[in-house]
Amino acid sequence: MEAVLTENPASAGTAPGAAIELSGLGKAYGRGEHAFAAVRETTLSVPWGQVIGLLGPNGAGKTTTIKMICGLITPSTGSITLGGYDVARQRSHAVRQIGAVLEGSRNVYWPMSAWENLMYFGRLKGLRGSEVRPRARRLLTDLGLWERRHETVGSYSRGMQQKVAVAAALITDPPIILLDEPTLGLDVEAARTVKDWIAHLAADDGKTVVLTTHQLEVAQELSDRIAVIKEGEIIADLPTTELLARHAENRYEIRVAGSLDGNVGGLPAGARVEPDGSGTRVLLPDADSATVYAVLDQLAAADQQLVSVAQARPSLEAVFIRLLHHAGAAPTPEAGGEGTTP
Amino acid sequence: MTMSLSAPVASTRGSWVVLQTRLVANETGKGVRLMWRRRSMVVVGMAMLALNYLGITFFIGGGHVVEPLMVETLPALLAVVLASTAAVQGSGGIAEEIYGGTLEQAQMSPATPQVQILGRIAALAVEGLAGAVVLGAVFALGFGLDYDLHPAALVPGVLTVVDALGYGLLLAALTVRIASIGAITHVFNMVVMFFGGMIVPITVFPDALETFAQFVPTALGVQAVNTTMAGEPLSATWSDGTLPWLVVHAGVLVALGLVTYIVNIRHAQREGGLSPR
Repeated sequence: MEAVLTENPASAGTAPGAAIELSGLGKAYGRGEHAFAAVRETTLSVPWGQVIGLLGPNGAGKTTTIKMICGLITPSTGSITLGGYDVARQRSHAVRQIGAVLEGSRNVYWPMSAWENLMYFGRLKGLRGSEVRPRARRLLTDLGLWERRHETVGSYSRGMQQKVAVAAALITDPPIILLDEPTLGLDVEAARTVKDWIAHLAADDGKTVVLTTHQLEVAQELSDRIAVIKEGEIIADLPTTELLARHAENRYEIRVAGSLDGNVGGLPAGARVEPDGSGTRVLLPDADSATVYAVLDQLAAADQQLVSVAQARPSLEAVFIRLLHHAGAAPTPEAGGEGTTP
Repeated sequence: MTMSLSAPVASTRGSWVVLQTRLVANETGKGVRLMWRRRSMVVVGMAMLALNYLGITFFIGGGHVVEPLMVETLPALLAVVLASTAAVQGSGGIAEEIYGGTLEQAQMSPATPQVQILGRIAALAVEGLAGAVVLGAVFALGFGLDYDLHPAALVPGVLTVVDALGYGLLLAALTVRIASIGAITHVFNMVVMFFGGMIVPITVFPDALETFAQFVPTALGVQAVNTTMAGEPLSATWSDGTLPWLVVHAGVLVALGLVTYIVNIRHAQREGGLSPR
């Protein structure tokens, strides 16, 4: 029998080492010719307090990975530790490190009230009622549900239901939060509320967050680090800023005061000149640094006052699509610092 | 980065037994709350069963209630109420939780699957017994049935409850593996209804049918209850083989249900079957 409650798992929240360690993690469904590898040899280390975005197309293996971390799907190979606890061998400790909102699920009992749900999920993790009540009160108040806490969750709007799911995941104040498509199906306002909460959890509460979403702007805004999964393999794993920097395009934007009025001739082929308020914007769609300097020299020679020079940064969406279609050209993880790619 | 853990994460005190008891109680409490939310459906289900029973009783009695027959078949009706409640609500509850994703959430707990299912079964016992007690009182008082509530009936009575819950547990356990369990559950419930002694006591069945009926959940228990309520001592149910086979039947059903549940949960974890398939 596995030992239960022999030490305070809260201490694991400040334990040295990584919050989440995936080592050679793999999952295959079926056998023989019909075997399908959903996740292949994934190794990943997520430090405490980091928000990692796990991105990939449908069927890439994100949800399977998340559910293996939660202990809901048994891996075919490899191991997972949460706060130092092995999910397979120290399950009761490991599961108390996490709270999860899973994709496409209600996650909570709709026929029960928000209050009853939070009390149930708190006790489910081994807490006493007296320990759960103050936290439930705080969560419901913070999420704006306190006044309607005794109404059944089924009578709530979709956004409120998702708030209850988030609150249930947080009721034991776990140091690690796993959010699988937490804004799926929410309207703009509800999605914004959930997104703000995730940001709050990371910034103010120091939670370690694993986030999967198809809304790449959400991932870009929230994630310290991005791992892109394709066909069960991590093809890129870098801090978000570095990932974007590595995919910075040879596209420059030069702003000058006033108009050019034909003062500058011989701009490179494809260059565009556009008015920009009281100034002018020169766009160089495909330029190396020598070309940029040459243009700057021309502008200086024409006495044009330079306002700014910027290299265009792609959106995460553009990088994501590029990575999926050119997996071979993915950023090397060694330079990424924290991440590793199999 | 330092962690902000202002609220307790988990209890550190308390023995393993105390914790497991709390976890079972938590599951039971949830089950009872969910039952209360759908109480109107529970009442309608009980009423339909009672009307069926009444209709069958009138039919067999040629348009009259034959009191001596009702005295022997009413315990079977109460056993059917308990067994069918445990089976339908047990398997339906699991199916609903798979669909809603709450079965997955429940697995992220220090509570083992067997602890959780015991809590669920306890809730089903509350629901089934409440219905059985109400129906029993309505029929006994309504038709002025004369029962000798001999204490010896308590033993087979309790074993019948365990037998019925074991049956519900087994069907709930199968639901984790078999998505379309609903039809199977109804077929089994019909078997329990027809061969469990609700229509006529199984002692009046032809020999082969009586032998078959003794394998049907609750049938042996009802037979033993009827024997003791007729004034026979408990030893009589032991010597005629009813009680020992009832003990074996109830024990096997509960053990089979628990093992099936654990095996199916593990299978679901291997195959990703804890969420909608």
